[in-house]
Amino acid sequence: MPRLQDRLDEFKKSFESGGAPYHTSREAVEIMHRATAELKASGAEDRALQIGDRAPGFTLFNQDGTQVSSADLLRQGPLVVSFFRGHW
Amino acid sequence: MELEALQEIDSNVRALGARTVVLTPELERYTRSLRKKLNLTFDILTDRHLKVAEQFRLVFALPDSLRDLYRSWGVTLDRFHDESEYRLPMPARYVVDRRGIIRGADVNADYTIRPEAAGTLQALRGLSG
Repeated sequence: MPRLQDRLDEFKKSFESGGAPYHTSREAVEIMHRATAELKASGAEDRALQIGDRAPGFTLFNQDGTQVSSADLLRQGPLVVSFFRGHW
Repeated sequence: MELEALQEIDSNVRALGARTVVLTPELERYTRSLRKKLNLTFDILTDRHLKVAEQFRLVFALPDSLRDLYRSWGVTLDRFHDESEYRLPMPARYVVDRRGIIRGADVNADYTIRPEAAGTLQALRGLSG
């Protein structure tokens, strides 16, 4: 199985190349790079919850409109909680 | 791509007695089709208005320049997320033990960097009971 990061790096290279199929402009690439650098420099990563912190509980709707609670899941076992910005 | 990587380890995660959940600000009508398209066996939960991401302190607002760029590409977060302020969560993956304590944490301000699924499995295996 290829490493996830290798797959991501390959996509990034293609996306930022300016060529087909994305034709991303140089200016757009610069805007994205600047925004990432600013967020990194802001120290936001260090403010996020870390190992040893208590994970906040949650009850949310899943893709089928069913309520899912972290407390119910944790009664059955550990949890992998992954935050995803969106697929757009 | 990250969701596919999590899918590749989902049977291993379950074999360890654990579960994966993905939290996203995307509305249910988008998560439903995404889950189907990628044949995911874990739930995608809609974290409306990033309420849970805020508690994990992952939320940031896009700078105006990036918001305008995304809009020009048709990525209108007002529509996908009901999020007029154009905020997003930093990509993050946590491993939480049964007592609710965080035992693995990968957070990156650079959204083009994601943790490997193998590391997540390793963190799960490291939990005692």
